Amino acid sequence: MTEQSAWDGRTYYDEPQLRPAPFNNALVGSYIFLAGLSGAAQLLATVVDSAHGPAAPPTVRRGRYLALAAPVLGTLCLILDLHTPRRFYNMLRLIKATSPMSLGSWGLVGFSVTSAVTASLQFAADRLRFSWLRSLARLTQIPAALTGAFMGTYTASLLSATSTPLWAAAPKSLAVRFASSAAASAAVALGLGERNDRRRRDLDSIAVAALAVELAATLASEHAECQAGIGDPSHSQTARPIAIPLVLLLTSLVLPGRLGRTLSAVGSLALLGGGLAMRIRVLHRGDQSARQPYRSLRFAQLDNLPRT
Amino acid sequence: MEMHPRVLDHAVSDLDGLIADEAELTAGVRIRPGRSYGFFTDTTVCIGCKACEVACKEWNNLPADGIGLTGHSYDNTTALSADSWRHVKFIETGVRDDMAQPFQSGWLMMSDVCKHCHNAPCLEACPTGALFRTEFDTVVVQQDICNGCGYCVPACPFGVVDISLLDGKAHKCTLCYDRLKGGLEPACAKACPTDSIQFGELGELQERARRREAELHRRGVTNAYLYGAPGEAGATGGLEHLNAFFLLTAQPETYNLPRAPTRPADRVAPSLAAGIATVLGLAVAALSLFTRRA
Repeated sequence: MTEQSAWDGRTYYDEPQLRPAPFNNALVGSYIFLAGLSGAAQLLATVVDSAHGPAAPPTVRRGRYLALAAPVLGTLCLILDLHTPRRFYNMLRLIKATSPMSLGSWGLVGFSVTSAVTASLQFAADRLRFSWLRSLARLTQIPAALTGAFMGTYTASLLSATSTPLWAAAPKSLAVRFASSAAASAAVALGLGERNDRRRRDLDSIAVAALAVELAATLASEHAECQAGIGDPSHSQTARPIAIPLVLLLTSLVLPGRLGRTLSAVGSLALLGGGLAMRIRVLHRGDQSARQPYRSLRFAQLDNLPRT
Repeated sequence: MEMHPRVLDHAVSDLDGLIADEAELTAGVRIRPGRSYGFFTDTTVCIGCKACEVACKEWNNLPADGIGLTGHSYDNTTALSADSWRHVKFIETGVRDDMAQPFQSGWLMMSDVCKHCHNAPCLEACPTGALFRTEFDTVVVQQDICNGCGYCVPACPFGVVDISLLDGKAHKCTLCYDRLKGGLEPACAKACPTDSIQFGELGELQERARRREAELHRRGVTNAYLYGAPGEAGATGGLEHLNAFFLLTAQPETYNLPRAPTRPADRVAPSLAAGIATVLGLAVAALSLFTRRA
């Protein structure tokens, strides 16, 4: 039968076989970046708080405030991206396990509420000096940190749970990329405002570790894309925005004093810019792959079916 | 308002009332809630008249889109979209290999439509519940709920669902949900002059399609096969089966159809697990670093 013979590579007048996501890539990319930044900042703040106990350093306060970026700015990006924005509240009509967008909407609500409470308690504790306010913040930061871990990663599941070839080809490594990039962004964002030199170096070390994971996952993604037969010749460009801040931060760690601090700041800014650009690029490349029938039809061949 | 005189030709209906269960007369099937309905599109008898496209536009009040000539044989619709829910594809295959060889081109024609998948990726992706499964086992977008998030669009493995920029909502074939409710066969199937588009109860349609496939094989059309029937191409990767399925005579890709589509929702769990493990792993590493220095 014809269906069993291999595809000869011909398409239907080169017309797209799939539709690209009708997202505004700048808005959605910004949201993915902010969600990762905020979620990981909350998680890191909780980690620092747990390590230092009641005498928490100002790093914790900055992390709790930074965690408000996704609830405030990120939510705005998401609502603006809807084609019928006045119905944004319909996102909370139900919860659906098969839809990362549904799970993510509830995750954003949970993260926003717990982060807002934690930040308010922090704000009050800084002014009123009641010790119970600080204890309460230490309690509410736990659910905030856990939903924060989800915020940095569910966006990758959201993209992978589509038929867009480049998003669907490597679900695990895309999630690792988004997760590690989120952790790295939060670490350097906290490090940028850090006056304590040793803690800044610690935060930069975490960013370096996260970047190394991201680099490995990016290479794994490219390998998976090639395995699926839909690889992209423009390879090296995806590794460069990771390699540059990685080298800068690594160098700053061995350099002493002012030079190290400057290099760290430059590396941090490069990392934050690269993290945002990476999300937008992933969205853009995915859209391109959906428009190219030889890629979508190649991805939908029998050899790419999940093994049962 | 000025009206054309012919508007008044049949101002009064010739019938006493609605025909109850009209689909019984036109498609030989009585439409009852709780059963599965679908389309069997037999491309071997399609003549490319596009009556299905017109009937669909008429019944569903869909605006015209992309008026112009593509140069792709007779296909100027190009793709299913928010405003085109039936789309006839034309493939010119060269000279026909029979008695009429020197005179007649060989054609492949196929009326494409939303597949109303058993495990519908658009429905599984929809975060608002606007996309739902009807009592006729079809998949429909509720226009009063859709907020135009657009997530159903990349979810669809067939590139069917589309956001209309006119109203900011997702649109696709409803398998004439309103007509089914009234006991009527869907507009495209009713309009099809060659019965290339057949509407009916899914189990019965699948049996009919198998018989047709066997008959074609017997008559020498050995490349005829079903696309979207259980266990066949198009019904792969957890989609189970397509309620709108096809009989084709060339590779699926020739018709711009994916040979082995997958169910996107199956990728949620592995992806979430990998991502959360990474974040928590890095958090534990950070904790050990800070605890050592605290």
